[in-house]
Amino acid sequence: MARRRSKTLHAAPLILGFGLAACTGVIGGGDDETNGPNGGTQNAEALDGVTPLRRLTALQYERSVHDLLGVEVDGHAILAADERVGPFKSNTVAPVTELNVEQYMAAAETVAQAALSDLGSLVPCDPTDIGEQSCGEAFIDDFGPRALRRPLDEDIRTEWKQVFELGLEQSFEDGIRLVIQAALQSPYFVYHVESPGADVAEDGRVPLDSYEIASRLSYFLWRTMPDRALFEAAAAGDLETPEGIREQVLRMLAADEARVAVQQFHLQWLHIDELRELAKDPERYPDFDAELLQAMVADVAAVTDYVVREGDGKLESLFTTPYTFATGRLAAFYGIEPVTGETPAVLDRERRAGLLTQPAFLAKAAHGDQSSPIHRGVIVREDFLCQTLPDPPSDVDDTPPDPDPDATTRERFAQHTEDPSCAGCHSLIDGIGFGFEAYDAVGQYRETEGDLPVDDLGEIVGADDASGTFDGAIELSAKLVDSSHSRHCVANQWFRFALGRMEGEADAPVLEGLYSSFDETHDLRELIVAIAQSDAFRTRYAGQ
Amino acid sequence: MTKHRSFRHARARLSLNRRRFLGALGVGAATLPLIPVPESHAQDAGIRRVIYVFSPNGTIPGEWKPSGGETDFTFGEILAPLSDMKEYITVIDGLRHPNGGPGSRHAQGPHKFMAGSRLLDGGMGGGGNTSSGYGSHQTVDQRIADVIGPETPFAALELGVQNGGANVRSRMSYRDSNQPIVPEDNPYALFDRLFKDLDQDASSLERLRAERLSVIDAVSGQLSRIHDKSGRDDQIKLDAHLTGVRAIEKRLQNGFGSNCTAPTIDGTIDHDADDNYQVVSELMIDQLVMAMACDLTRVSTLMWSRATSNQIFPFLGFTDKHHELSHEPDSNNGARNKLIQINNFFAGQLRYLLGKLDEVPEGNGTMLDNTLIVWGNELGKGNSHTHHPVPIVLAGGAAGHFRMGRNLDVDDVDINRLLVSTLQYMGLEDETFGNLDSGSGGLPGLV
Repeated sequence: MARRRSKTLHAAPLILGFGLAACTGVIGGGDDETNGPNGGTQNAEALDGVTPLRRLTALQYERSVHDLLGVEVDGHAILAADERVGPFKSNTVAPVTELNVEQYMAAAETVAQAALSDLGSLVPCDPTDIGEQSCGEAFIDDFGPRALRRPLDEDIRTEWKQVFELGLEQSFEDGIRLVIQAALQSPYFVYHVESPGADVAEDGRVPLDSYEIASRLSYFLWRTMPDRALFEAAAAGDLETPEGIREQVLRMLAADEARVAVQQFHLQWLHIDELRELAKDPERYPDFDAELLQAMVADVAAVTDYVVREGDGKLESLFTTPYTFATGRLAAFYGIEPVTGETPAVLDRERRAGLLTQPAFLAKAAHGDQSSPIHRGVIVREDFLCQTLPDPPSDVDDTPPDPDPDATTRERFAQHTEDPSCAGCHSLIDGIGFGFEAYDAVGQYRETEGDLPVDDLGEIVGADDASGTFDGAIELSAKLVDSSHSRHCVANQWFRFALGRMEGEADAPVLEGLYSSFDETHDLRELIVAIAQSDAFRTRYAGQ
Repeated sequence: MTKHRSFRHARARLSLNRRRFLGALGVGAATLPLIPVPESHAQDAGIRRVIYVFSPNGTIPGEWKPSGGETDFTFGEILAPLSDMKEYITVIDGLRHPNGGPGSRHAQGPHKFMAGSRLLDGGMGGGGNTSSGYGSHQTVDQRIADVIGPETPFAALELGVQNGGANVRSRMSYRDSNQPIVPEDNPYALFDRLFKDLDQDASSLERLRAERLSVIDAVSGQLSRIHDKSGRDDQIKLDAHLTGVRAIEKRLQNGFGSNCTAPTIDGTIDHDADDNYQVVSELMIDQLVMAMACDLTRVSTLMWSRATSNQIFPFLGFTDKHHELSHEPDSNNGARNKLIQINNFFAGQLRYLLGKLDEVPEGNGTMLDNTLIVWGNELGKGNSHTHHPVPIVLAGGAAGHFRMGRNLDVDDVDINRLLVSTLQYMGLEDETFGNLDSGSGGLPGLV
């Protein structure tokens, strides 16, 4: 693995046009050779575009269990934490350990026991009618394909019959329970298994079968197993054509089940998906608490879901229209009347734009007692311009300067750009971050910092047509919409979220296609459709 | 008495069923807290155990290092909680995390401590700007587990306290290159894993065993068939899954714990809450000691938080974030005092572990006499991110293998030497360890 990575280490960013040529300051006097000017700037996971074997995330696990068996579990409580690909949860690198395997076993035993409480709806026959053995086999044939998301093969049918028969020594219910346990621990349930051993075409690609495409669609858009309609579409061969895929994507996006996926995409993108509490200086921000923070996060979820699935689906609306569904504490925070009904209100456009002026994001990317141009700048640089920054040098003091009533944040952080050892990277970060100075440590709009007027002029450097100066986060948001560089980054993020892996060299043609159509339409729904229709989605690159 | 001891909370407590415990030991109720003594091992000399412990963000070296000579020394403020067990402690100053490989020193630290090895290239998320992959080498605990693990139901136990997400900073133990081991950081899940099945009657246990083996058969068959058709990288993952399944299978086939009485665990607390950090740590230690007393395992890791942890410790009387505190300049006395308190808290937890081990009689002494604890850190000094020197504390009797009760200075030696010493203590004959090892043999002067 390491060999393959190093071979292609520099290729992908170049091809994808996200190369970051700057960050060339002389760093540090320390002896850590890894933090040189070009140290560690690569996003090197699977840069060739090979699809690694991925494991369900905790969210996908709990939703699948629910849809399969009607049993509620808390995936995050019973399974170990998920890895991330870029900002998005996806288990792609580490193999499972004994502990993971035991967690699957324990969860399967608990879930199977709970599922028995509604045996009637689970089993498609009456064992007293057709016999326990026959009914058990009928259950395997009915339940098996749904659990494993594909037609059942003879080997598995035989294995599960043996499991059932062991249970049947005690009772019919025990037989069913054991089959469920076996299904929930099957690698076909736990992993996204995609055509292992299938013939590799000359271009290194393996076409996925219809059921695997159905699963990809379902875990992309619903974060759960396919529903009956999707299974039927797969069986009918409807997923073999781009038109058939479009039809399913639009159907699925319109359904309530898509809400979680769209919300999670945006919350993870902004690094606020696991935000429960934030410690803020109670003297400065007496009204800020976990309840307000939760309301902020919930509003990001609601608004982004509205734009993508119900509104016009345009990037402009996501980035530049300050929608809100605020009620209660959050409405008071904004100083507006509570929003009622299913249409969002629009906040003052002089003060807020879209995604990047969401207080949940601004409060997360801040210190306890002051804003943080660094944190905000880094997230924009890495996740909205798709450029990777190296780790800060080991020997710097990265403590924020104490708030000083006689200086603005910008003045206090001036050292970054004055000190040549810091300037190389911080010229890539701070210029963007200063653009958010109109928002304090809890994301509240401000025109002054202490007694001094806020200065939120910002600048992007080293990002193609996104480069240039801007006046505050509202202008920045518009600027990102207008830049093909940042639009392509949006496409990349949806690609990562859809595929559960980083884009790589082999994806270049697909990405080029996505970029050019998204540049034209700015339409997020069309982007989602196009990703699902792409070669990258319908095949698996196995390497050459 | 350390400061944190005055911040007692309602305790969730691990305890034996009182009646059984008293029955088994025939002692009075005054001898709480309750740790079971498996009768067959109470006399069983010759078993050696090792526990590697990690705490994050460096220390305040001046307060960490004892004053005085090699054997005539006094602990500073940080290690003061260990004072009454001085004869079981050896403090080593001067070891180095060997230089090399990608990633920040925070990210590198846990792997250098446990493997003396580099990180892989990579760009996994989770750290915001993590520019490395996972570790590139098996860690020392797993090397030992490979050799002596087969003798116990669990080859090793990997435990943690509030470790956070799945990335390189949250992992101290590796089966192999790019194969990090998830620490169990939920005390209730750990309890179920170790002890839940002990409390069943023989026939239910037999039934459970048969059911699990049958399910495992089916699962293994599917794993193997997919494995045989898969590419090399995916095969590594499926192999690892099969290894996990087989470990469970073997445990079921051998049965375990017949010489151990099932303990009980009381209370339910949120194991991720900052307020409960100490309680969770102590619950983990209680169970680790019990698992070792029952000879469920002889090798363990315990990871407090994670590299670059921003844990807050409200029960110490302040809510500053650990990593941010560690960046304050030396001149900030307030931050310095808080960092001393945090490190003193971890020393107190180590003392708690030693005390628990010392409560279990074994041979002519206690389990503490036959256990080695190695306490390390990702950094030396937090605000300058040093990897030389890094703070190392050895604790326990180590079966007399090491001369304890010392305050050692070594001169710029890679930590690999110490790792080799711990392998040799556990009976292995390795002379080198890790892919950044430039020397060979154990650390001179320890034995």
